[in-house]
Amino acid sequence: MLEFSGEERQAICDTFDRVLSDNANEEALRKLIETESGFDNSLWQKMAELGLTGLMVDPDYDGIGANIQEAEALMEVAGKYLYSGPFISSCVVAPVLLQASSNLSMVGPHLKNIASGNSIFAIAGCGQSGDWTEPPTVNAIQNADGWELSGSAHFITHALTASHCLVIANEGGERAVFLVDMHDYSVPAKYQSTDDKTLRLSNITFNGTQALRLEDVGEQQIAGALHLALIALAGEQVGGMRAMFEITIQYLNTRFQFGEPIGRFQALKHMAADLLVDVESASTVARIAAQAMASGSGDSVLLTYLAAFTCADNFRKVTADAIQLHGGIAYTMEHPAHLYWRRAQTGQWLYASSDKCRDLYLLEMEAKL
Amino acid sequence: MSEDLKSKVEGWLDAHWDSINNRQVGTAIYDAKTWLAKVVDAGYATPTWPVKWHGLGLSSKEARVIENAFQTRGAKGWGRDRYHLGAITIFKLGSDALKTELLYELLTGPICCLLYSEPGAGSDLAGVRTRAVKDGDEFVVTGQKVWTSNAVEAEYGMLLTRTDMDAAKHQGITFFIFPMKQAGVEVRPINQITGESEFNEVFITEARVSERFIIGEYNQGWKSFQTAIASERLIMGQGITARLGGAAAGKAPALLQLAHKHGALQDPVLRQDIAQALAYRQLNALNMLRAKEEMMKNGASSLSSLGKLAMSRIQHGEARISAKILGPQVLFNETEDALNANFDGAKAYMNSIGGGTDQIQRNIIAERVLGLPKSMDVSRDIPFKDIKSG
Repeated sequence: MLEFSGEERQAICDTFDRVLSDNANEEALRKLIETESGFDNSLWQKMAELGLTGLMVDPDYDGIGANIQEAEALMEVAGKYLYSGPFISSCVVAPVLLQASSNLSMVGPHLKNIASGNSIFAIAGCGQSGDWTEPPTVNAIQNADGWELSGSAHFITHALTASHCLVIANEGGERAVFLVDMHDYSVPAKYQSTDDKTLRLSNITFNGTQALRLEDVGEQQIAGALHLALIALAGEQVGGMRAMFEITIQYLNTRFQFGEPIGRFQALKHMAADLLVDVESASTVARIAAQAMASGSGDSVLLTYLAAFTCADNFRKVTADAIQLHGGIAYTMEHPAHLYWRRAQTGQWLYASSDKCRDLYLLEMEAKL
Repeated sequence: MSEDLKSKVEGWLDAHWDSINNRQVGTAIYDAKTWLAKVVDAGYATPTWPVKWHGLGLSSKEARVIENAFQTRGAKGWGRDRYHLGAITIFKLGSDALKTELLYELLTGPICCLLYSEPGAGSDLAGVRTRAVKDGDEFVVTGQKVWTSNAVEAEYGMLLTRTDMDAAKHQGITFFIFPMKQAGVEVRPINQITGESEFNEVFITEARVSERFIIGEYNQGWKSFQTAIASERLIMGQGITARLGGAAAGKAPALLQLAHKHGALQDPVLRQDIAQALAYRQLNALNMLRAKEEMMKNGASSLSSLGKLAMSRIQHGEARISAKILGPQVLFNETEDALNANFDGAKAYMNSIGGGTDQIQRNIIAERVLGLPKSMDVSRDIPFKDIKSG
C-alpha cells in the first residue's frame, strides 16, 4: 500500500472532477438515465487511462495501490456529479477481496483487467433483505470441477455491465467469496424499475452456476468488504449533500421575493444553518472513518458504522430540506434536486440500512461497557 | 523543545504545588491570590502572551504542554490566555497604559463578570439602555444588568453602556471595565429552573468608572464588544470539547451506562434513539477536533461556530432519552438517576438560550459562514432615543 499526501490526494480528485465535469455533468447524466445500461463505457475507459479504475489495485498488477482514504475522497467527487458507474463494486470492493486471495496466479489477471478497464466487477452480497450483514442467500457446493452456486442474490448494481461477479455465499456454514464469469452465465434480461433512475439494480438466480473460490477469503475479509463499501458510499453521500447544499445556498442568495433575496428570511436561514451542521458532521466522520480504516485503528469499525448512517441520513435530510428551501422550482423534474434526493434514498438502503448501521454502532459502543 | 518545557514546568510545579492537599507548598490553606500571582509571575497563566504582558511568547501547542502539566496535578491558574475573558479583552483591546494598570490585577484576581444583557436587551444586545454619563474624567453609570454569572465575587465587570442617545443603536455604545466593589452596585441572585442560582441581576445606581477604563474607543464600544464576544464563543466551544473528554478513550458514555443499568438496550426503538444520541455527541467531538486542526493550520475555522448548535441538540436529546430510559419513574425525584434526568432536561436550556439563543446563532452562521443576506433591523439606523421598546 502506498502513502499519499493530502496534496497528492487532492490532485487525483481534481483530475477526476475535471473528467466528470466534462463527461458526466447534469446534461450527460440525464441522457445516461435514458439508456438501458445506465453506463458510459467511454468515460470508464478515460478513468482507466488515468489509473482511477486501478486505484486500489496493487502496483504489481498495474494499479495505483491507493487505500480507502483516496477512494473516499474520489467518491466525494463522484457524489457531487451523482456519478452512477460501478466504481464501488469494481474499483473499491473487488480489488480488495481479490488481493486477499492466496491464489495470486488466479486473481492476478483479473486485477490487471480491472486496472486496465477491460473487466468490470459486480458484487452479490445479500438476499432480499438488502443487508450484507445477514447470512448469505446463495449456497456453494464443491463438485468434481470446482464449485457451483445455487440461490438468489439481490440488490446487485450494474450486473448487466459487469464482466464478472464476486458472490458472497454460504459454504458449510461459513461465508466465502466466489468468482463468476458473467460471460459464461445468462444474466437477467433487464434491470428492475428503480425510483432513483441513476441506479441499475437487479437480482441474479444461480442454479448450479460454475464458480471459482477466492482462496483464504473468509469472514474477516467479507466484513471488511462491507466496511469498504460503506465508507466509499459515505464519501459519495458527502459529495452529493455538499453539492446540493451549495446549489441551495446560491439559490437563497439569488431568488427574490417581497423585494429581497429569500435567504434574508429567518425561517430559511435557520434551516440552512442546521443543514450546515449536518453537512460538516458528515464530512468530518467520512474522512475520519476512512483514515481510521487505513491506519487500522481500533475504533475503525465503530467509526465506519457511525459514518455510514450519519452520511446516509444526513444526505437524505439535506436533499429533502433543499427541495423545501427551493420551493416550487425543485418540485420539477427539470431541477436536479430530486436526482440528489432520490440518490439519497438509495444510499439509506444499499449494503446495510442506515438503521441497521446505527444499531451496529451501538453494538460496538456496548463493547466499551 | 516541548520535552524540555514539560520537564521544566513539571519541576516548577513539583517545587511549588502540593497536589495531595491542593495548595501551594508550605501553606496551610489554598489562597487564590498568592498562588495565582506565583503562576502569573512564572508566565504559566498566559504562556502565549509576550513576556512584557506576563507571558512566555509560546505557541498554543507549547501552551498545552503547560496546561496538561497543571491539569494532571490539579493545579489552578492555567489557561488564563484562553479562559479569562476580562484579561483577554484588555490584552487584545486595551491601551498599554490600561494593560499596565489592570492586567496583572485581573490575572491574579478571582473573576471578571460580564455586564452585557439587560431586561430589554437580550438577543438584541446592542439595545442596551444602561446609561454612562460623563462627569469630569469619570462616568456615572445607572441601569440594570441581568444574567450575570459570578457577580457576587467579581471585582470587575465588562460593562456595555449607552453613551449617546442621539446616535444610532450601534454607534452610541461604550465598553468599560467596571469596578464592582463600590456603592451603587447591588447584586441579586436569580432562581433558575434547575434550582440553581448561578446568575444574578445587577442594579447599578450612579456608580462610577474612570474614563481610563474604557475598552477601545468612546462610543465605539460595539466594535470592542465584538472582540470580547468572539473570545467567549471560542471558550464555549473549547469548554464543550473539554467536557466531552469523559466519553473518549474507550470509556462508555454516561447515557450508554444509564441505558445498560436500566435494561433499555433490549428495546429496538430505544436502541435507535440511544445510538443517535451517542452519535451526535461523538460527531460533535470529531468536528471540534477538526476545528482545532483547522485553527492551528489556517488560524480560523467556521466549524467552531457550529459547536453550540450541535451541543443543544446533544443536551436536549440526551435528557429526553434519559427520561425515556427511566420510564414513569422519572416523575419522582427520588432516585439519583431521575434527579439527574430532570435536572439535565432543564439545564439543556442553558446551552440553547445562554450566550445568545440558538436562533441568534443560526442567524450568525447563516450570515457569516454561509454568506446569506443580513436580517433587517428596523431600529438600526434611527437615533437610539426613537427606538420602540417593550
